[in-house]
Amino acid sequence: MKSFLAIDLHKCTGCRNCELACSAEHTNSFNPRRSRIQILKDEVQNLVVPMVCLQCETPLCEEACPTGAISYNEKGILVVESKTCIGCENCVTACVYGGIEIDTHTLKAIKCDLCGGDPACVKACDYGAISLVTADQNGLKTRRQGIDLAYQTINMKTGEVSE
Amino acid sequence: MTFPYKGYAGYYLDVDLTKGKVHKKELEKEWARLYLGGSGVAAKILWDRTGSDTNPLGPDNVLVVGTGPLTGVMFSPSGRMMFATKSPLTGVWAESHVGGFLGAEIKYAGFDFVVFNGRSEKPVYLSLRDGNAELLDASHLWGKETNVTTEMIREEHKDPTLKTGVIGPAGENGVLYSSIIVDFYRAAGRAGLGTVLGSKNVKGIAASGAQGIEAYDMEAYLRANEKEMEKLNDPLWTESLASLRKYGTTDLVAIINEIGRLPTKNHWTGFFEHADDIGPEIIAEKYRIAQEACHGCAVGCKYIIRVKDGKYSTGPIGGPEYETIMAFGSNCMNNDIESVFHLGKRCDLLGLDTISCGKSIGFAMELYEKGIISSKDADGLELTWGNAEAQVILVEKIARREGFGNILADGVRKAAEKIGGDAWRYAVHVKGLEASGQDPRAHQSIGLTYATNVRGADHLRSISCVEELGYPEIAASRFGEEKAEAILDIMSPQYKGELIWDMEDLYAIVDSAVICKYGTMWPPMFYFDSFVNVIPPLTGMTEWGDMKFVRKAGERISHLRRAYNHRLGITRKDETLPPRLLEEPMPTGPSKGGLPDLDVMLDEYYDYRGCDRETGYPKEAKLKELGLEFVVEDLKSRGMVR
Repeated sequence: MKSFLAIDLHKCTGCRNCELACSAEHTNSFNPRRSRIQILKDEVQNLVVPMVCLQCETPLCEEACPTGAISYNEKGILVVESKTCIGCENCVTACVYGGIEIDTHTLKAIKCDLCGGDPACVKACDYGAISLVTADQNGLKTRRQGIDLAYQTINMKTGEVSE
Repeated sequence: MTFPYKGYAGYYLDVDLTKGKVHKKELEKEWARLYLGGSGVAAKILWDRTGSDTNPLGPDNVLVVGTGPLTGVMFSPSGRMMFATKSPLTGVWAESHVGGFLGAEIKYAGFDFVVFNGRSEKPVYLSLRDGNAELLDASHLWGKETNVTTEMIREEHKDPTLKTGVIGPAGENGVLYSSIIVDFYRAAGRAGLGTVLGSKNVKGIAASGAQGIEAYDMEAYLRANEKEMEKLNDPLWTESLASLRKYGTTDLVAIINEIGRLPTKNHWTGFFEHADDIGPEIIAEKYRIAQEACHGCAVGCKYIIRVKDGKYSTGPIGGPEYETIMAFGSNCMNNDIESVFHLGKRCDLLGLDTISCGKSIGFAMELYEKGIISSKDADGLELTWGNAEAQVILVEKIARREGFGNILADGVRKAAEKIGGDAWRYAVHVKGLEASGQDPRAHQSIGLTYATNVRGADHLRSISCVEELGYPEIAASRFGEEKAEAILDIMSPQYKGELIWDMEDLYAIVDSAVICKYGTMWPPMFYFDSFVNVIPPLTGMTEWGDMKFVRKAGERISHLRRAYNHRLGITRKDETLPPRLLEEPMPTGPSKGGLPDLDVMLDEYYDYRGCDRETGYPKEAKLKELGLEFVVEDLKSRGMVR
C-alpha cells in the first residue's frame, strides 16, 4: 500500500529536529540544507511551512525528468535514481510543492524516499507531529487537516477543498 | 586540515575590526580537549587577550561568539550558543547564552567561534556563509530596531532562512545592559554583551550554511544520543516537562511565589499577592497561540503570544520568560500582564536586558517611594509602584539615554553612586549585575550562587533546583542518602557549599557543550554521565569517556573564570550579597523571617573549590592538578595564589 507523510502543524514547534534526523540518515552528517524535509518559518507571522515530497499520483517531477531518473520503486515510493540524474533541475522547476531539490554537495536531485518505509523524521519528532499515513482518502484528509493552521495564518479558508 | 576532532566545524574567525580584516583560523586542538567549547574556550581566549588594563568599551576589549560540539547535532536541548566579554556593566567576566537557531547555523556556515577585537570605523555586520566570512556595511541598519534589522539583512541576502544575532538602538547608544537579540525574540541578555558590540560599531552577525557537521562515529553517537533522549520519558520528569511544554517558564511565577521567593517591590519581599494576574494560567488561556522550540529541542519551552486589542495589542511575538514577568511585573508591583508583554517586546526590539532594565526601574520606584528622588528628578514621571505607563516611558528613555533614562542606563550600582545619599541601600546587585528573579532569604543556596557567580547576581552559573523544586531522588543519587535530607531542606545551609560547587562544575560543562539549562537544571535529567556518553562518539575525544576527566574539565573551566576575575581585583569581599538580601529578614509571605547563612556556605564552597577561605584565591596545588600552570604563573606574580 502506498503511503506518504502527514505533518500536523498543531503539534509542530518548528524545532527542525526532523531535518537533522533526515540529514544524518541520508548524508551521514548534520546538515539541514541537505535534508529531504524542510521546515520553513516566518517568525513575524508565526508561520511554519513544512516542505516534503507529497508522493503525487502523477508526479510533475517524474514527467519533467529528461533521463527517467525519477520513478516509483517496487515499494510504491517515488525515488530519484542518483546514477541516472544529471542535475538539470527540471524537476525542481516542475514541482510546485517544493518537494525536490538539488543537493548542495552532489549536485544531483534529492527528495524524500520515506527512508524505504521507516522514516527517520517520524522517529525523531518528539512532538509526534509527523506520521506516515496510507495514501487513501483518510490519509489525504489527515495531511490536509495537519496544515490547516498555516492556511489560517495567511487568512485562507480551508476544509472545503476537495483532494 | 589538522584539527583532529569531529562534532566541530573546525575553524574560528579572528576579526580585526580596526583593520576591517577577517582571519580564518583552524580551531586549536587543546581548546577542544581541555575546555570543550562555549564558555570554556571563551574563558581561555579572554584570559589570554584581556585583563585589568582592558577598557570594556575600548577597541582593546574582545568579544567571543561561541558554540560547542553539541550545538546543532541533534542532542536535545542543544539549540544554544553563547557570547562572552569583559563586561561594561560590571567590569568583570561576562557571558550570556541564548537559544534559537543561530548557533547551529554558525557551525553549518563553517565556524565554531568568532573573536571580535578592535573597533570598526563605520557600522558593519559580519556575514558567515559556507566557510567564508566578510564584514559588510551596516550604515543603513544603524538605528534600526532588532526585528527590522533582521528582516533587512535577510532581504539583502535574498535568504529568508538566514539566522541573525543583532543589537538594537540601546546597544548603539551604550546602555550598559544592552542585549544581543537572536532570531527576533531570543536574547543573550545579561551583562552588556550588546553594549560591547555597539562600542565596536558592529550591528551583528548573520549566518547561513550547508557545510554540515560530521560525527566521529555516527552510528555510535546516534545510539548514545537516543539513550540520553530516552531520559525524557522517565516518569520522574513527566510533571516538569509537561509544565515547561504547556506554560514555558511562566509556570515559575506561580511555583516561585508559592515558596515566597518571587522578587517583589524591588526585592523587598518574595511574595506578590497579585501573582495570579501575571501567572501561567491567564497567559495560557488568553494570549498563548503556539508552542515553539529552539533548534532540535524536544522540551519546547518557548511560546508565542498575541494581544488582540487594547493599547498594548500586538501581532505574534515570543512570549515573555519568567524573568521578564518578574522584573517588570512583581518587582515593580505591576499586575497588568498586557503591559508586561509590551515592555518585554520593546526591550527585545530596542535590545535591552529585561532583567537589568526592569530591576533598574524597580530601584527607581523605590527611591521615589523613599523620597530620595522626586518626579522632578525623573523628568516629571510619577514613579509610583505599578505605574505601567511610567515603565513604558522609562524603557524608551533608557534605550535613548535620554533624561532620567540616562542615569538608569548605567544600571543600579552606578545610578546609586550618581544619585547619592542612601540610594545604594536599594541597589540590589552583586559585582554590579542586577539580581535576577530569585531570593536567598527563601532559598539558601541561591545566596551562595549569587555571591560566587563570576558574572554577578544571577542564577545561571550554579542554581540548584534540587531543593527548590524538590527532586529527592537526585539529591540522594548525587550526594548520598545521608546528605539528601539536609540538601532538600531549602532553608538549611548544610552541604550547600558542596551542592553549589557541584552545580557550578556541571553548568561549566553544560555552558561549554553548549546545551540548555532546561534538561540539566530543570528538570535535572542530564548530569556529567550524559557528556561521558555522547562526547566521545561525537568528537573522537576518548578522554571525555572518563568521568574523572569530564569533572576535571568542569573544575578547570570554573577555576579559569574565577582566576580571570581575581586578576581584575575580585576577592571574597566581593563574593557577597547586597544588604537587602543579606541583612533584612524576609518581611512577608511563605518564607517570612528568612535570611541566608552566607559565610557558612562560602567556607564550605571554598573548601570544595580548592580555594583559600580568607581571600577566595585558588590554591596552587589545585590549579596545577587542573593543568592551569599558566594561571599559577600569572596570579603568583600578583600574590593571588595560596
